[in-house]
Amino acid sequence: MFERYSRQILFAPIGEEGQKKIRSKHVLMIGAGALGSGNGEILVRAGVGRLTLVDRDYVEASNLQRQLLYTEADAAEKMPKAVAAERRLRAVNSDVDVRGIIGDATPDLMEELVGDVDLIIDATDNFETRMVMNDIAQKYNIPWVFGACVGSFGMSFPIIPGKTPCLNCLLKSLPLQGMTCDTAGIIAPAVQMVAVHQSAEALKILTENWDAVRTTFVSFDLWRNQYTSIKMSRAKDDGCLSCGPERTYPYLDRENQSKSTVLCGRDTVQIRPPRKQDIDLQSLGRQLRALHYEVKGNPYLLSVELEENRLVIFNDGRALVHGTKDVAQARAIYQRILG
Amino acid sequence: MNKVLFFAHLREAVGKDYIEIDAAGKTVAQLKEELQKQYDLPRFESVMTAINEEFCQETDVIREGDEIAFIPPVSGG
Repeated sequence: MFERYSRQILFAPIGEEGQKKIRSKHVLMIGAGALGSGNGEILVRAGVGRLTLVDRDYVEASNLQRQLLYTEADAAEKMPKAVAAERRLRAVNSDVDVRGIIGDATPDLMEELVGDVDLIIDATDNFETRMVMNDIAQKYNIPWVFGACVGSFGMSFPIIPGKTPCLNCLLKSLPLQGMTCDTAGIIAPAVQMVAVHQSAEALKILTENWDAVRTTFVSFDLWRNQYTSIKMSRAKDDGCLSCGPERTYPYLDRENQSKSTVLCGRDTVQIRPPRKQDIDLQSLGRQLRALHYEVKGNPYLLSVELEENRLVIFNDGRALVHGTKDVAQARAIYQRILG
Repeated sequence: MNKVLFFAHLREAVGKDYIEIDAAGKTVAQLKEELQKQYDLPRFESVMTAINEEFCQETDVIREGDEIAFIPPVSGG
């Protein structure tokens, strides 16, 4: 039964015991884009017991350069990533109970899913969801592995409740207008490098090799040949509202989530960020034009033409997504551009 | 002197991998504010800072010879 895992079992720190542990574990993966492709394939091939993946998006041609689970046919059919990923991963390893869920990873959905989850993999593309994931992980005492990238730059850090600092300790607040793959581009090796860092930590966590779990925050730039490991012993914030003694899990609070409203009869969704922002529309416009997006603007707003939608962004971070009534799709489009 | 390293879009904004300046005696927050003005950098909020490859706090004071790294969170995936 373990023949297909023989090489992994030969690896001493895993062995047969480790393989049994991997087999008994349930992983929740939030996102099934490029990081999700890398992590999902490695964990499914490794023989994890169950993999639940959540994604709200569908496959597009511009994904194929780096999202290894998908094909031209998936893009042509605009297949939801959760469906295409589930199909592909089941074909890779029929031992694994793979379940793809088409949906937005809201606090409600995540609370519903984490019941018997042993590990959460961050394969998302925005910090709002990561902060929710961070609070969920702390609340339910589940390890999770942060990973993110843009251009040729990537970073990763395993977060173990009760042991390591959490994402809120590191960032203190929701980063505004982070760089995204849709505004600054991305090369496939950078995502793969993040995914391998994440999945290596995942294997250590799933096999309960706790002493081997990395304690440093790693970041690298594959184009500039830089690799940095930062010691995190001083990063834990005792006053942290996500993991400190006075915790409130702020990102599970509806007040701190972006608000989406379908505007009746206009085929438009309005997105309002959790707090007022001050977006530099001019520089965002320049960035997007450089990437050949059709952009129009005035001092008050920026209008970006996308394949089937138009995104209108206001200086305070509010945006209108035209051409859809689907809130999840609108949020996906918004976060693709604004992070 | 102090070596100050920049990553991701901060590196693009400064145009160099690193600069050498005298920052001894300043807090991390003061150095951030100074660099932000000097290089017209995007907001430094949430940018993680390390001194000698160890995560540090805004109030930490920089000493002679310390190497400072600014690592902005990126969101892609």
